[in-house]
Amino acid sequence: MYLSTIIEAVSAWAAQEPKIYALAIGLIGAAIISAVINIGAMAVVWLERKFLGDIQARFGPNRVGSRWGLLQLGADAIKLFTKEDSIPRGADKPVYVWAPIIASITTMLVAAAIPFGALRIDGKDYPLVVANMDISAFYVEAALSIMTIAVFMAGFSSNNKYSMLGAFRGIARMIAYEVPMGVCVIAVALMAHSLNLVEIVESQTLWYAFAQPLGFIVFTIALVTDLGRIPFDQSEAEEEIIAGYTTEYGGIRWGLLYFQEYINMLLGSILLVLLFLGGWKGPSIPLITVLSPMVWFLMKVLIVLIFLIWVRGSLVRFRIDQVTDLGWKWMLPLSLVNLAWAAFVGLYFA
Amino acid sequence: MSAIQSAFPGSVLESRVESDRRLWITVDPKKLVEITQFLRDKKDFDHYSGAAGVDRINENLFEVVEILTSHGAHQVVVMMKVRVPRDKPSVRSLTGLYWNANWYEREIWEMYGINFEGHPELYPLLLPDELVGYWPWRKDFKGYPDTTTGERAIEQVGPDGYTEFKIMPHPEMIKAGVVPERPKYPTFREREEAEIKSDSEMIMHMGPQHAIVPGPFLLDLLIEGERVKKAFLDVGYIHKGIEKIMENRTYLQGIVYTDRMCYLASITNNEAYCGAVERLLNITPPERAQYIRVILAELSRIQSHLLGTGEFLTLLGAATYSPFQYMIIDREDLVYLMESITGARITHTFVRFGGVRNDLPDGFADKARPILKRMRERTEEYMDLLHSDPIYTRRMRGIGVLSPGDARRLGVSGPPLRASDTPYDMRREDPILVYPDLDFKVVTRKAGDAEARVEVRLEEILESIHIIEQCLDQIPEGPIQEKLPKKIKPEPGEAYYRVEDPRGEMGFYVISDGSEKPYRVKVRGPVYAYMQALPPLLEGAYVADVVAIAGSMDACTSEVDR
Repeated sequence: MYLSTIIEAVSAWAAQEPKIYALAIGLIGAAIISAVINIGAMAVVWLERKFLGDIQARFGPNRVGSRWGLLQLGADAIKLFTKEDSIPRGADKPVYVWAPIIASITTMLVAAAIPFGALRIDGKDYPLVVANMDISAFYVEAALSIMTIAVFMAGFSSNNKYSMLGAFRGIARMIAYEVPMGVCVIAVALMAHSLNLVEIVESQTLWYAFAQPLGFIVFTIALVTDLGRIPFDQSEAEEEIIAGYTTEYGGIRWGLLYFQEYINMLLGSILLVLLFLGGWKGPSIPLITVLSPMVWFLMKVLIVLIFLIWVRGSLVRFRIDQVTDLGWKWMLPLSLVNLAWAAFVGLYFA
Repeated sequence: MSAIQSAFPGSVLESRVESDRRLWITVDPKKLVEITQFLRDKKDFDHYSGAAGVDRINENLFEVVEILTSHGAHQVVVMMKVRVPRDKPSVRSLTGLYWNANWYEREIWEMYGINFEGHPELYPLLLPDELVGYWPWRKDFKGYPDTTTGERAIEQVGPDGYTEFKIMPHPEMIKAGVVPERPKYPTFREREEAEIKSDSEMIMHMGPQHAIVPGPFLLDLLIEGERVKKAFLDVGYIHKGIEKIMENRTYLQGIVYTDRMCYLASITNNEAYCGAVERLLNITPPERAQYIRVILAELSRIQSHLLGTGEFLTLLGAATYSPFQYMIIDREDLVYLMESITGARITHTFVRFGGVRNDLPDGFADKARPILKRMRERTEEYMDLLHSDPIYTRRMRGIGVLSPGDARRLGVSGPPLRASDTPYDMRREDPILVYPDLDFKVVTRKAGDAEARVEVRLEEILESIHIIEQCLDQIPEGPIQEKLPKKIKPEPGEAYYRVEDPRGEMGFYVISDGSEKPYRVKVRGPVYAYMQALPPLLEGAYVADVVAIAGSMDACTSEVDR
């Protein structure tokens, strides 16, 4: 096949000029990633509005861009960009300005190490990842936690009581759930004998969701918490503290904070699929053999996303002390049990 | 009655036994507290239902009417009046005996200028600070803007750049040199800031514009971290002065204003007002009209409970919590049913003195039965859903607990009181219309927490459906309106009439002086009592629970600020 010859040629060139190759792949990758995650997040927002509408027996967007409301998000983005950019008088200006930017940078950092599916060429899967590092699972976890700093910056700098309470809640919640989430990732790495996300996917002959069901459940709950979605959206509980840490933000600054939530939701779903649901692994589909891993991958991501939206439409919110209770008293011990299980199984069967 | 007379010889100046449920007495102001204490301790009058001020300008007197009754020990309502002279009026406060006398006395003070001796916090409740001292509900209040000269409030730009509208003393008062001295008191903000004891505490505003408030009112929380240490409530943002307006309208025109007090309970408000006037006119509506009134009252109860519960659920889980939308869809069917009778969706203005406006449309029963059947299934589904939701029960169980004793002491009524194991329902306590012929049970719960309050509401929907179905079976043919003269002029007298609002005890006290217009209309609304009970309930709760507790009370600001 000619595709494999191209790959061989590129690999040969990369071996000759590793530095130029790294620079080129970085630039191209960054461009592609920003396009993919932003458009992907727009699709997620659209999906959520439409599906949530269905759950609640209403229409959702149905005017701008045909009866499916496909251009609604474009219209919203234009609105956000053209709104007045206001900064509250008492705000800590540099911190206030940098908070949404740091939030966006975080999502980019995470996205860099995540494989967005793979292409199957001559029976071999080539993952689509920009930075294929050895510790990518660990790195993604670490980069996700930077979000906490952005939340704190936004809440603290706004000089608003609601923002402050929202930031406190957000931090308490994230700390309580980062730990069990990390332990679950360690358990997966133990079974896969690797921290590389690509290798983790490739080692899943049996999905880890079945190999360590406990870890799967804990990780899913911790993921929903980390994304700050109902029932864990205490940091921006509209009915209690207006909009939490985003209260004082408006226009495109608010848009950035809002949008990174959906980017995070997309990345989180992808991470769940990679770690527990076998990633892009699946039987080849005739005619589109090259794209078949992509099809499986997107299908799984879509199912996870719909699950997340469904949860939002059908549950009420926890109280913050109940969240931290659940995190420290249940999720952490359970994740440790899962770690022991993974170590045991990994030792004898893998 | 005779017990009071024998216990306090000479202090009962006048008395009248209207029926076995109403007792009107006028007592000596000096003995007011002692007589009340006697009634409370010896005669089970443990429910302070309200108080009204009346300006008897022709006799140069002020009257304060205390409405006392009991939580189920007996059904007598004592309307106890004290009369004081108009210059320097002063009455002894009952706050020492009844905790909830506080707000009623504050309202009388700010509206009439009757001082209450021994009242702990005699601050304005409903009026803006600029109006305090003019005593606007006195009969000799000229009004501002003055209807004769057309002068209005004066626009002033304050130091912070906000425009304020100040009400200056009336020009005639300035000319005559009798500008009344304004009472001195700490403002709301000063009062709440005085409570801040350390740096770790702060005041968080919920309202006047906030997601939890059903209408504009200010709920300020003194919080330390996530804990509420003290709550302050300020109402009066949309005070409409309906009681005063009704004094200036004919009896028939007054019905329209009762609608506007709370749009979810407009039928029951109509009913309460019309019932009071019917007592004055000494008429009873024909039986068919009574059945129609009951059907409508119960329909409005169902739709109010549905909306109340739905709104409350959105407070718990953001607007994305789906049952809300389904409750609104179900409510739409009921509103459609009501519209087919009254022609209006929320402000019905349907009940008339001695009857109702329209008869039921043809085939109403056939239309209503399937809707009610579906409604019953859906309500059972909601109860099942909420009961089986672990997060919901975790959030609601044991939150905002009102023990039976506390609930009675705080003077709440309706679902919150019944959720605290007190079967107190006006339909039983003070039966009106055809309620005695109907079979229904008073829904109660033991727990008294937020979950129980919602459960009571949902189960009351089932009871109301049961009542409506009986009415549809039993309703007789016949006229729907008593013959009345065109101009309604009741004999001089007074009447107090209570109905069970969707939210609790709604009473109308109407005084007639023989003219076309009522001399005084006093509304005893249920939400007023809820609101008063809210601050003590919130103490010690988490901020997130404030939402759950306030929402489970199902308040309606419009009725507080009537």
